Amino acid sequence: MNDMTAPRLFDSVAVGDRIELTKGPLTEAHLMRWSAAMENWHRIHYDHPFSVGHEKLPGLLISGSLKQQFIVQLLSRWAGSAGWLVSASFQFRAMNVVGETLTAWAEVKDLSSGADHGLVTFDLGIRNGAGKESTPGSGVVSLPLVATAAVVRPAAGGLA
Amino acid sequence: MTLLNDEILSFVGVESPEVEAPNPVESSEVRRYAQAIMDDDPRYVAGEGGEAPIAPLLFPTHMFRAAFGSPDVLSARAEDPDFDGGVALSSRGLPDLPTRNLVRLNGGVKVDFFDHARLGERVRMKSRYASITEREGSKGAMLLVLIDTDYYTSDDRPLLRVQNTGIYR
Repeated sequence: MNDMTAPRLFDSVAVGDRIELTKGPLTEAHLMRWSAAMENWHRIHYDHPFSVGHEKLPGLLISGSLKQQFIVQLLSRWAGSAGWLVSASFQFRAMNVVGETLTAWAEVKDLSSGADHGLVTFDLGIRNGAGKESTPGSGVVSLPLVATAAVVRPAAGGLA
Repeated sequence: MTLLNDEILSFVGVESPEVEAPNPVESSEVRRYAQAIMDDDPRYVAGEGGEAPIAPLLFPTHMFRAAFGSPDVLSARAEDPDFDGGVALSSRGLPDLPTRNLVRLNGGVKVDFFDHARLGERVRMKSRYASITEREGSKGAMLLVLIDTDYYTSDDRPLLRVQNTGIYR
């Protein structure tokens, strides 16, 4: 997972390949560190009486902005030095609370190749230790066809 | 129950002003961010191929913080037991929708990745209401509000396009 030097080639990937990244258990300190790093002072992430008593939540919430990092980290690390994470999308369908261990997962759903690169489409999500899915979605990674190919990134013509 | 009306629909296409983050990409901020997301990518420190160190892919989305000298919302609302601590721009610089008593939930995110921000670069953003629709869910009617936000460097190099789905019900 942490090898950023070995280029991953498109023809090394097969439909059904599965990758995972586990983080946790995520403690109050982890949540506070993330809140401080992004300067988000929403009390539901560190103030237990407020979260449970005022907001009627089951505990301190692991923020979606932290959970999405695990998905991006999983796919971008897998893409390696020659690949590129093109896109990722996910829905926040269930809450995760402090104390849980989260596993970001992705499974190759489809492969398509062009002239100079291939696109790998994943189903993905985040499951807690009990196996409950909270963040289903999909992602696309671009990989080179040969080891000498430059990283192929998407055109950004849509930006203003 | 109908939540969508012409007044709300008139917001589709409305854009925010272009905003520049108050600080450039700074090494200490990248360090804190990378440690908080538990990502030890060495390129955050050393760069790669002789180029400047990079920031985590989603780092630009969290660069738009209260600038020095901004009003201190935490102090101003310190005596308010209902204050949830939220001081960020959930509407990303866009005018608030006239949804009155509806509660906004974070429904999901779609991100297109174009490039990393690099140490020392300044980042700008601009948002727009992309679409507003109404759906009937298991808990009744809801509004689905899609906001597109582009992040790019001060020399207009695209970094990210983020589409946030807000659920109002």
